[in-house]
Amino acid sequence: MTWELLVFLFLAGSALVSAMWVISAKEIVHSVIALATCFISIGCLFVMLNAEFVAIVQFLVYVGAVTIVILFGIMLTKREIMGGERR
Amino acid sequence: MNLFEFCHGIIHWLVDLVNNVWYWLGDFLPWYFWEFFTAVGDFAASESHLTLMTILLETLIIIIVALINVLNFLWIFRKLSGRILDFYGPYYVGYRIGGWLQNLADGVKLFVKEIIVPAKADRLGYLLAPIIFVGSSLLILAVIPLSVDFGVATNASGEYVPAGAVFALAAFSIAPFAILLAGWSSNNKYTLIGGMRSAAQMMSYEIPLILSAASVFLLASSFNFVDIVDAQHDVWFCIPLFIGFVVFLVCLIAEVEIIPFDLPEAEAELVEGWTTEYGGMKFGLFYMTTAVRSYAGGALATALFLGGWQGPWFIPDEIWFLIKAYIVYTVFMWLTWSVPRIRIDQMLVFGWRRLLPLAVLNLVIAVAVKSWGWV
Repeated sequence: MTWELLVFLFLAGSALVSAMWVISAKEIVHSVIALATCFISIGCLFVMLNAEFVAIVQFLVYVGAVTIVILFGIMLTKREIMGGERR
Repeated sequence: MNLFEFCHGIIHWLVDLVNNVWYWLGDFLPWYFWEFFTAVGDFAASESHLTLMTILLETLIIIIVALINVLNFLWIFRKLSGRILDFYGPYYVGYRIGGWLQNLADGVKLFVKEIIVPAKADRLGYLLAPIIFVGSSLLILAVIPLSVDFGVATNASGEYVPAGAVFALAAFSIAPFAILLAGWSSNNKYTLIGGMRSAAQMMSYEIPLILSAASVFLLASSFNFVDIVDAQHDVWFCIPLFIGFVVFLVCLIAEVEIIPFDLPEAEAELVEGWTTEYGGMKFGLFYMTTAVRSYAGGALATALFLGGWQGPWFIPDEIWFLIKAYIVYTVFMWLTWSVPRIRIDQMLVFGWRRLLPLAVLNLVIAVAVKSWGWV
């Protein structure tokens, strides 16, 4: 049992769990949080594989683009803001 | 001696000290405990444990230095605002050092306040947004070296993190996610509008920011802060790439949301923008993180365009770097109190129709300079 194996198991587990959470979350913004967690875990896995540049581009492109997914999520889903019943 | 070796020395000395006490304690116990004591002591003295502790200590030092600088930045912000707007600024707490302790006092006041989550807020997003915002902003500081020796990214062989400058820009680009999350999960129309504006602003100004940084990477032919600063030994990049430098500064002001571009938190229109529903230390964290991002922005502009830590030999490299970063921040403040806030449509037109073509022109100039071998 080395440190690397422990870190790898943690990152792989968090990537898998958050990927499951993306498709099971009720709120679309929660699934976007899970998507960002998944991408960050995969970026850290790239760091462990000594592919730092790929990891940085993963953060820059994917985690940055998650914001656009939230924007579309807010624009395209129905939601009462200020008063009214949530869900 | 770089920071890693310094911390490694301290950790080695501490572990030796603790191990001596540990074995001395073990001698008082019966023999069947000795194996356990030896195993723990061997683990503490092992190289992997020493490296882990060294990295933790290094991170702590970097964070403390960065936060002291952030306190200085907040103090400069308040004092300079006072000087320009004709009032005194803080002077009572820490009278002899010009009211420097006022921000610490404010921090303590915010720290002891109750944590309130609005009843209709989305709890997960509301509590997660400050963590992401603060974490991603402190992550920028991790890769910015104050000199060749003072950086968290050095290891025992003196290697720097590859693509450190791109990493800093990538960490900069995580913030709109946290801001939009904060704005949405507070469940308030002002926070949502503020978050939407902030996301639009940050994403449209990130493109010229990264393009003008790309011209620097092209001239230095490296993504690494140390190589970039070494490449500016003869001439600072702000001279051949003057257009890029101006575009970079304007985009930094938009990224850190200070006054000409503070329309995500325009007080007259949107109460307090996307931070409206946050109170206590969570607001304090947002406030502090704005200063952290100003510091990171000033440090990035210094490292990429203003020659980093290169200067006269009689000033230490780190101090020289910080002086330049402080001057960049002073220019920000000067701009802040000289121009009015721009409208949202003007902001988008300015970003997409003025700054983006200028950034592309700057990239063309960088290619020309590089191919004719002027720098």
